[in-house]
Amino acid sequence: MKLFLSALIASEDPSQTHHWLFPEKAEIIYGGIASCIIFAGLYKIGWPMIVKAMNARTAKIQKELDGAAAARSKSESDASGIRTALGDIESERRKILAEADAQATAIIADGRARLLKEVAELEAKAVADLAAARGRSGEELRGEIARLSSAAISSAVAASLNERAQQDLIEGFIKSVGASK
Amino acid sequence: MSDARIEAYSRALFEVAQAEGNLQIVEDELFRMARAIEANEKLRSTLTDASIPAARRQQVVEELLGGKASNTTIQLVSLIIGAGRGRELPAIVDRLVQRASSEQQREVAEVRSAVALSDDQTKRLAEALSKSTGRKLNLKVVVDPSVLGGLVATVGDEVIDDTVRTRLEQLKTRI
Repeated sequence: MKLFLSALIASEDPSQTHHWLFPEKAEIIYGGIASCIIFAGLYKIGWPMIVKAMNARTAKIQKELDGAAAARSKSESDASGIRTALGDIESERRKILAEADAQATAIIADGRARLLKEVAELEAKAVADLAAARGRSGEELRGEIARLSSAAISSAVAASLNERAQQDLIEGFIKSVGASK
Repeated sequence: MSDARIEAYSRALFEVAQAEGNLQIVEDELFRMARAIEANEKLRSTLTDASIPAARRQQVVEELLGGKASNTTIQLVSLIIGAGRGRELPAIVDRLVQRASSEQQREVAEVRSAVALSDDQTKRLAEALSKSTGRKLNLKVVVDPSVLGGLVATVGDEVIDDTVRTRLEQLKTRI
């Protein structure tokens, strides 16, 4: 090999080629072989690594995609839960409002009924008081008339009881007692 | 005042009046005096007021009865008032009248009239009441203007009421 190289160097001027564009034939052959070897080595050694790297990258990307999908799914689930919760809150709010309305209606109805009852009772009491007052006034009036009548009668009787009347009463008493046996 | 004390005073008055020989007059005068004390609040309070000296109360009695009652009656009332027993005088006199009536086998009949009765009326009334009740009566007439007119007689538990006051009361009740 060393001899081959020495001969090559000795016979050829490396700075001179037979074509201004193409290299020497041998150089093409050796270069081609070397290139093939290199490419073969690259294919044999580098390609799996590239494939592996690409696969790893693909897996990583897939993993990230899967994670994103899971996150999205979770987010959608959370969003659904929140929407459900919002729906529940709305339902609860409506329920509470409905109950409050029902209670308010019941309270108003109860208060109205109580007020109506109280008004009816007050009216009945007022009527009874008026009747009692009328009765009392009537009783007082009758009592006053009776009192005045009694006083008038007493005065009239006392005025009419002169000596003659007194004697007549005494004689009448004696006569009635004497005849009562 | 206890019954025993009232009884003792009434017996003492009875004995004195009987001893003086004018029991009927004294009894009658004491009876009227007792009714007057019962009817007159001012007189009763004056004769029973312990803050007034006994001599002053006795003087009131003498001024009140002087010339209108026998001396025995005045002295007996004065004795009761002076002893501070003026409040019990009506009860003592009532017991005396009962005792005097019992001595005569009679029962006390109290008659109230608005005006005084004449002797004739008193006699006829006593006869009428005796006839009506069937008992001998010792009639005591009390002049009581509050009866207005007519008479009311009380013999024991029996009451015969024919007064104008009662009739008016009945009329008022009916009115």
